[in-house]
This record gives sequence, structure tokens and C-alpha cells, in this order.
Amino acid sequence: MGFLEKQFQENVLTTKVDWLLNWCRLSSIWPMTFGLACCAIEMMAVGCAHHDIDRFGAGAFRASPRQADLMIVAGTVNFKMAERIKRLYDQMPSPKYVIAMGACATGGGPYYKFGYTVVKGVDRVVPVDVYVAGCPPRPEALLEGLMKLQEKIQNSSVIRRPARTA
Amino acid sequence: MTSTAQETHEPTITRSDEEVVLDSGEREFMFDVRTQDMEVNFGPQHPATHGVMRILMRADGEVCTGAQPHLGYLHRCAEKIGENVEWLQYLPYTDRYDYLAAMNNNLGYSMAVEKLMGVEIPRRALMIRTICAELNRIGSHLIAFGTYGLDLGAFTPFLYMFREREWMMALFEKICGARLTYSYIRIGGVFNDAPPGWLSEVERFCDTFEEKWKEYCDLLMVNHIFVKRTADVGVIPVDMALDFGLTGPMLRGSGVDFDLRKDMPYELYDEIWKDKAFEIPVGTGEKGTLGDCWDRVYVRVMEMMESIKIVRWCLAAIEPGPVIADIPKTLRVPPGEAYVGIENPRGELGHYVVSDGGKVGVRVRVRGPSFVNLAVLEAILPGALIADAIAIIGSTDIVVGETDR
Amino acid sequence: MDFQGIHDRLQAIQAPGLQGADEPREPDPENKKDKGRFGDPFVLVDAKLLPAFLQVCRDDERLNMDLVADFTATDPAKDDENLWINVQLLSIGQKHRLAIKCMIPKANAVMPTSVPVHRSCQWHEREAAEMYGITFEGHPDPRHILLPDDWVGFPMRKDYEFPEEYHGISCK
Repeated sequence: MGFLEKQFQENVLTTKVDWLLNWCRLSSIWPMTFGLACCAIEMMAVGCAHHDIDRFGAGAFRASPRQADLMIVAGTVNFKMAERIKRLYDQMPSPKYVIAMGACATGGGPYYKFGYTVVKGVDRVVPVDVYVAGCPPRPEALLEGLMKLQEKIQNSSVIRRPARTA
Repeated sequence: MTSTAQETHEPTITRSDEEVVLDSGEREFMFDVRTQDMEVNFGPQHPATHGVMRILMRADGEVCTGAQPHLGYLHRCAEKIGENVEWLQYLPYTDRYDYLAAMNNNLGYSMAVEKLMGVEIPRRALMIRTICAELNRIGSHLIAFGTYGLDLGAFTPFLYMFREREWMMALFEKICGARLTYSYIRIGGVFNDAPPGWLSEVERFCDTFEEKWKEYCDLLMVNHIFVKRTADVGVIPVDMALDFGLTGPMLRGSGVDFDLRKDMPYELYDEIWKDKAFEIPVGTGEKGTLGDCWDRVYVRVMEMMESIKIVRWCLAAIEPGPVIADIPKTLRVPPGEAYVGIENPRGELGHYVVSDGGKVGVRVRVRGPSFVNLAVLEAILPGALIADAIAIIGSTDIVVGETDR
Repeated sequence: MDFQGIHDRLQAIQAPGLQGADEPREPDPENKKDKGRFGDPFVLVDAKLLPAFLQVCRDDERLNMDLVADFTATDPAKDDENLWINVQLLSIGQKHRLAIKCMIPKANAVMPTSVPVHRSCQWHEREAAEMYGITFEGHPDPRHILLPDDWVGFPMRKDYEFPEEYHGISCK
């Protein structure tokens, strides 16, 4: 969206374009297959028939970060993995979003005090859009997190939205 | 895929330009063909590693010539935490190292502490423990089997198996409130009694599962493509299995009839085995060589049915009664050390606990079966095709939370 | 075989490095400070001769300990001079277990590797080495296994201090 950004004043045309672009974006979020720990099993459950994340247009799990819009950090992040997460995040094309799923990715979780290798929250490594609480969160909670993200995307604008990445 | 390739120095085959005259009299020109060993990073973010594990593979063309697993991408310091929190507080951490079989982990840890304390467990608690552990074994094998199909390109069985797994998780949710990390089996028994109607629902689950299980077998086990991909691949001979300390389906897949539930029985399994209520499936080499990937998957699939039989035995024998022994809220475990190994879906799950008589443990060691079973990759991957490497890694059925703890 | 039988057999074949046995006992009623010892019996083995001991256990046809179930270390206390090496052997054929304990001094934590006898010890030894700072002489692959390669300190020792930061990521 680079060349469109901050080019126009707000008027009826750009808001309609905004709406259309945001609608396209939020209806086809492609998450990256990125299971770290226990939460990954719930993420798999979300992708399967019972909960079916496809209803929200986010069912196309991509194995490659280069094809993904959304990184669901599902599990504990430790120092060895943190660099890889940073690298995977950098490989994703903009606009990109991150959901921190579960207590560990949000803030260290049960490993906060004595986990000497655990990163206390993935937001120390990559910027996070939505935090989902729970250990592990229920699939419904992850779906709600996804809807919150969709709300966030719906309210963004090509005009006013500041550039996400440096 | 985040595989990166880098060139290494020595070319393995070099042919110079030369002219060859074929038998038919045609002339052909051979070009200078050089092949090089390539190092391929497999993981840590790769769908087929079942978590975050990295395998550094050396490949000569299509053939893997060396493999080096790199662990530690999910090291969460569980053992250090065990030395810092109280005995009962550690129970939730046991859920989280093998998150596919949390009930079995609760059981192993509780049994190790109970061995030091010398508590008598009420019979109803033992029954419920056995039911839960076996149901969880089914759930774990369902994931192992389903994702194995996924690795080999069969997407449908995965969706089918999650259907049954969702029901199983709903059962656990009814009994303890959690879907994945239960902390239900406590030191001294279980946390609360089964709610009314739960046992009959378990029975209904067993009935349904038996039918569905036949579907799975038809869908995958005798599927021609599946057999082609798994038979004769990743063969582990018996002596190699013992040398690497493999246990569980990895060992039984190689034809060794050893199961801790039968050979060193704990809790109620002695009675159940003497009742001839279940059998131990072992690999037979039916589709290929003894100890190949197909055999290991076969053992897991057959075990699901044996677990159903055990659950049925417990459902028939269960009687009302207390479900937890009288233990204080703040445990003071008598000094000493104990090792308890139980049969986890992946093999022998060992807990070695040391106490000095205080509220906090001196050492809580977890012997994760995945950690030990994974080491065999170093020996069986060389010589396999790169495409088969996926099949071999999938057949070891690891849970990275347990390899790294 | 029960523990007594295994211990008798070990004595009969003069297993190398066997130093004694420790069995659980009830607390002494007269001495109030004595809390007894509970749990499993184990044999004490000289750490320098552990590989030979494991080999004898494996090759003796009546012991037949063909599987190393677990191989780990323990730091019993902050002010203790020794580390323990704990080995759990399992016999598939005879269906019995044996627990082994070795003492090695913290100041000079060096012992020979058991990998030539059981390859399953390879990863266990790597883990014990990085967590407790034990050097296994002759180990074929003495790298870190769970921790990053540049990790400082031995986390499972009781006197370990948690790091402040790692590669720019704060640990607090």
C-alpha cells in the first residue's frame, strides 16, 4: 500500500476505498503454521472441523512466512527461538499482524519466575496486535482474538495509518 | 519452508568431458557433472517437525548422508522449576511437557511422589485414573496418526481424527474443566469424582470409537500410497533399538514384546492383564521389513483399540467410593528418592524425585520418552531419501515440549 | 529379580566399581532427628568405573540390563561437595530395574563417558554436562543440547544465578 499512503485527503472516495481494502484484508487473513508448544494443539483444533477457522477466512495455513499475513505465536518463546521468530517476522510481507496466543507468549506465563531461558512475552521481540489469554486458550478464545484483529483491520485506513515497519 | 542451502567444499563425483560411443554407434557427449553435498536446515519452523525442532541434514542429491537433530527451541526449565516450587504446585508443569498426554504425565509424577509418601490410593480413584490415562492415550495416538497422515499428504484423516478427539476433550472438560492441561490426577488420587452420567458417556464414546477406528484403518493403514511411503522405510533393528534405549511403540514396532503395563505393572494393570482384558500389539513386518515406519504406526493404531478394552474393563468394575486419600494441603514428602516409570503413549515416562523431607523437592527429573526416541534419527536418517525423512521423523511421534522440557 | 538378588549377583560376579548398597529404612524411634529414608534402593558405584559397570550389567546373562532408562545428575544441596550421577537400568528380558548412584566432586566434575557401552547415554550426558558442568571424557559430541551454544553457567546447579539479559532481551 506504500504509494497510496498519505497521498490523499479524507473524502468519500478514499473512505470507500478504505472500506473495500480493509474488507479484503480482514476476510482473507492467511496465518502461518507456527506451532511452538501446547497452544499449537489448540490452534490445530481451531483449524479442524469442529471450530473451523475457515468461517472467518483465515483457514489457509501457510507453511512459508512469505505467503502469510498473520503470525500466531502459539506457545512459549525462549531465547534460542526468539531470534528465529524475529527473522520469520521480518520475512513476512507487510501488512502483517501478530497474535500472541496464551499466557507464555503474552508474558512468560507459568515460566515467568524460574524459567531462565524463557522470554517474558513475545512483545519483547516482535510487535503484537492482539493478546489472547489462557493457558492454553480455548479455541473459541483464539477465534475471538481473530475477530478482534479483524476489528482492528477494519478501523485502519490507508490515509491515516502510519507505516508499520521502519 | 525456511530451509537454507549452503555449499560445502568437496565435490563427491567429478566426471570430465569425454566422448562416449554407445553400442548403437551413436556418439554422445558427457558433460562435466559435479554433485556436491548440501547442508539443509530442516526446521525449526517447519510443519513436519511437529513443533520446533531443527535437523541439520547433509544431502547428496536426493539421499540424506547425515543428520544432526538440534533441540532446545522449547526448553522451558521444567526441572529447575521442580526444585523451586512446592510438590503440588509442580503438577501443572507436568501437564505442559507432554501436552498431548497430560493425564499420563500427572499420573507419572503423582505416582513418584506417592511412592515416597507410601499413600494408599482408593480403588475408585485408581479406576478413574486408568480410564483417564487410557482415553488420553487414544487422544495422543489420534494426533500422532492424524498428523502422520498429514505429513504424507493425506489431509482427510487428520480432520476425521480431530472429530473424535474433540469428543474426548469434551469428556475431559466435563470431568476436570480443562481441554488440554488437566492437572486432574493429583497426589493421592484424583481431584474430584466423575460427574453423574460421565461414565455412561465414556461407554458411548467407546462404542462410537470402535466403529470409527475401522474407518481409519481402511482409510490409511491399508491405503496403497500410505503403505508405499512407509513400508521398508526407516527400519530400526532390535539391537539398535535397545542400544538407543527406545521404549514404547518405537520398541514394539521393532518386534520386542515389552510394555510396562504388562511386564512391570503398576496400579490396576496387573489385575487387568491377569484378566486377559488387553493385549500388547507388536510389529510384525507385515507390509515390509520388521521395524519399519509402517510397523510403528500399526502398533499405535492397534493400541488405541487395546486402550478401549482397558477402559471397558474399568467401566464394568468401577464402584462408588472415595476418590482421594487423606493428604494434607501442604505436602511434606518424607526424605528419600524414587524412580517411577510408566507407559506413556510415547514410551517410558520416568520421574525421578528426591526429597529431603521439606515442602520443596530437591530434584524432579523427567525422563521424557520423546527425548530418548529422537536420538535414533541420527542413526536411521543417513541413507534414506529426503522425501522419506519426513516419514521417518513423523513415525517417531515426538512431542517437542517433552524433548526439551 | 528383586534388589537383593541383583545386589548378590553383582557381588558374586565382582562387578567393577561396586561400592555398596543403600536401602530404604524406617526412622529410628530413639533418634528424633532421624527421618529415615524412603523410596527405592540403589547401588553405589565408583564414577570412574561406571562404563565398565554398565558393560558388566549388560553382558551378564542373569542381570541382562540391556536398556539405560535414565541417566542424569543431581545437585543435592548448595553446600554439598558432591554431585550425584543417577542411572536407571532396565532389563527387557528379565523385567527388573536397578538404580545406580555415583558421587563426583563439584570441584573436579570429570568422569568417563558411557557412550561406547550404551549409545542412549549420548544425549543424556550432553544434557547433564551443560546443566551441571560435568565433563565426560571421551564423549563423541560434547556440544550443548538444550541451551544456546554461548550460554554461561550451569543452570541446574543450586548456586546458579539467573541471567540479567541475553542478546539484548531483558530477563526481568
